Amino acid sequence: MDAALSLNGISKRYGGFQAVKDLSFSVPKGSICGFLGPNGAGKTSTLRMILGLQPQTSGTLEILGASDGRQVRNRIGFLPEERGLYKKMTPVDAIAFFGALKGLPSGEGRKRARIMLKEQGLEHAQAKKMKELSKGMAQKVQLIASVVHKPEFVILDEPFSGLDPMNQQGLEEMIRGLAADGATVLFSTHVMQHAERLCDKVVLLARGQKAFEGTVDEARSQTLRHLSLEGDIAAEAVRALPGVASVETVRQDGEVKTLKAQLNAGARGQETLKAAFLGGLDVRSFELREPTLHDAFIHLTGVDPNQDQTVKRAETMEAAR
Amino acid sequence: MNRILLIARREFAAYAMTVGFWLSLLALPMFALLGVAMPMLMKSSEPVREVVLLEDGPQASGLAAAVREALATDVERQAEIAREAAEKAGEFAGAGMGAEAAAGAASSVARPKLNLVEAPDDLADTVTAEEREARIRYYLGDEVEKAQQLDAVVILTRNEEGRPTARVWSRRATDNTVRNFVRDAMKDANRAEVFGEAGIDPAIVRETGAYDPKVVVLSPSAASGGEVSFRDKLPGIIGFGSAFLLWSLIITGASILLNSVMEEKSNKILEVLMSSASATEILTGKVLGVAMLTATVLLAWGGIGAAGLLNFAPEQAMNVGQILLTDGMLLYFAAYAIGGYLMYAVLFAAIGAFCETPRDAQTLMGPIMMVLVVPIIVVQMALQTPDAPLVKILSWVPFFTPFLMAARAHSDPPMIEIVGTMVGMFAMALFMVWVAGRAFRAGALSDVKLSWKSFLGAVRGGGR
Repeated sequence: MDAALSLNGISKRYGGFQAVKDLSFSVPKGSICGFLGPNGAGKTSTLRMILGLQPQTSGTLEILGASDGRQVRNRIGFLPEERGLYKKMTPVDAIAFFGALKGLPSGEGRKRARIMLKEQGLEHAQAKKMKELSKGMAQKVQLIASVVHKPEFVILDEPFSGLDPMNQQGLEEMIRGLAADGATVLFSTHVMQHAERLCDKVVLLARGQKAFEGTVDEARSQTLRHLSLEGDIAAEAVRALPGVASVETVRQDGEVKTLKAQLNAGARGQETLKAAFLGGLDVRSFELREPTLHDAFIHLTGVDPNQDQTVKRAETMEAAR
Repeated sequence: MNRILLIARREFAAYAMTVGFWLSLLALPMFALLGVAMPMLMKSSEPVREVVLLEDGPQASGLAAAVREALATDVERQAEIAREAAEKAGEFAGAGMGAEAAAGAASSVARPKLNLVEAPDDLADTVTAEEREARIRYYLGDEVEKAQQLDAVVILTRNEEGRPTARVWSRRATDNTVRNFVRDAMKDANRAEVFGEAGIDPAIVRETGAYDPKVVVLSPSAASGGEVSFRDKLPGIIGFGSAFLLWSLIITGASILLNSVMEEKSNKILEVLMSSASATEILTGKVLGVAMLTATVLLAWGGIGAAGLLNFAPEQAMNVGQILLTDGMLLYFAAYAIGGYLMYAVLFAAIGAFCETPRDAQTLMGPIMMVLVVPIIVVQMALQTPDAPLVKILSWVPFFTPFLMAARAHSDPPMIEIVGTMVGMFAMALFMVWVAGRAFRAGALSDVKLSWKSFLGAVRGGGR
């Protein structure tokens, strides 16, 4: 499949601080790609380089056939991490204005704005001022403003942050709709569940470096499954079971322990469980858990994606300057 | 280009569509009108005080007559001043409605401050000081009927040396009008007596005091080649006014830009804009939008001023029009307005790109505002002595050029100074556009706190 975006060895330095290091990945046309990493991992810097808002220190990129995002800015839609629209504008005016900046005729922009607001259940808010809308409603309006010109490539920076579960679900549907209409979507997030549900492809980023690129299943397959066992069981007995790589005691309450057994790659959990029961181990409860993308992220990067690296990296950046 | 115009139009509409903008636009003409009308209104609405004069015994004989004479003289003088004011206003206004209005206004303010009335019998007939004081208190108090109420009772007397003095009983403790008038009348009476004792005729004293010499100002640069008229002073007044107008419009426009960019930065709109347009397009659009706004203000003020002049002083309207159009002053002011606005507007916009609150901006704005006070002080000097070395030197400082050269316009500065300062100003304006463009680009996406260091670092780093 043709790539709508490809990065080749992109790096970004702020003074002495390395924000992004030798990053390469590609996003196929028409796909939804998750750009995953904890806050402060370098996602926003990368997205800004893709958009041409900041130059890369080294490396090259190609987006929609151009070497600089600014050359194709009218074909790109962008939703920044921290959002805001003109408070005194109505949603229709705001959407039409940002559409017009992307070359959409004002009349057409207003027409599309009304249709899209209606689709998102915001018909009643058309004539209100932005400052009168709730945060969730304002975020929907801003997303509409970033895609009203029907861009070929949509970049969303942390689009789910600050949204309640209902609005998160609505946003997921919008993203699926964009891809269904043929747009390529690249979105950054540190919440893995959204990526698991939406993405054809994920790129995992930690400390400014790529840790993984591939599908969600491929990411998960990189991670070992584990088996949780609870009962009066000795850790050594579990370690002796077939397919078990390592054992960790998670909790102990008197004689009853909770043990987490990491399974070898390719090991079948059912076989291990069967051996445990046949071996007469006092297992009172068990759970065989498939790895999540969150587990895969931790496994592949050694970093918890929910851990905020912003403060630490910002301090480093300030010191480097 | 389309994006620049879109941003400019939004910027213009964001302010022009607010009630506050139109209120502030009308505020200046309204204050100007109030500034002229209020003193006259206050003067004409001032009540005439009902005053009784009492001579305290035979030694005070003649002092009441002196006060009456002083009042008559004052009324004559007020009438004379009103006549002269009406004449001057008539000259200024020409054949317009203004001459009539000015004459009416002048006559309405030329009224006596006091009305000397006869003392009521029961007050005039009192024998003891206690009785008299009790009656005075009665007539100044609230118990007496309104028609009989007095504003002041003046007891005229003489001190140990025989000089005139007075005690003024006033209904309002804070009203000094009667006291001041009586004091001046007593001074005049004393002077007349002293000169009289020295053998000088009091009529001569009065005539001498009333003499008002006519001083005619002549200048070879006057239009007539001799006597200086208001028309000759008009270019200086226009230059002075234009300098202040430029200063206030430029600072207002630049401040609007600062706040606008700051608001967009704090609302995170700037990043969205940056993904849709280049930093240069955003900066140019904003500068253009606010320029349209200031031009609207200028046109509105100019229109109101022109309409006022045409109605009330058509001759002066012709003169102003002639100076601005025929003598090329309009182009001269326009060139300095453009250069000045450009210099300050882009600088303020770049500062705004680093700030999210006005407090953030104070670091850089403090020193800039201190510098901006300098031309306002020197402009006043430029009106009287446009060729003073200090004024000439400061005119070459690009940041002061627009204001000082506007104020000096009436003195026909040498062409080398006009061209030189204009080149310097536009060179600085272009430099500021370059500096601000780089700083704006860096500031718009930066979370770095504004300081001279970060600002200069952004300029050096090229803003990307």
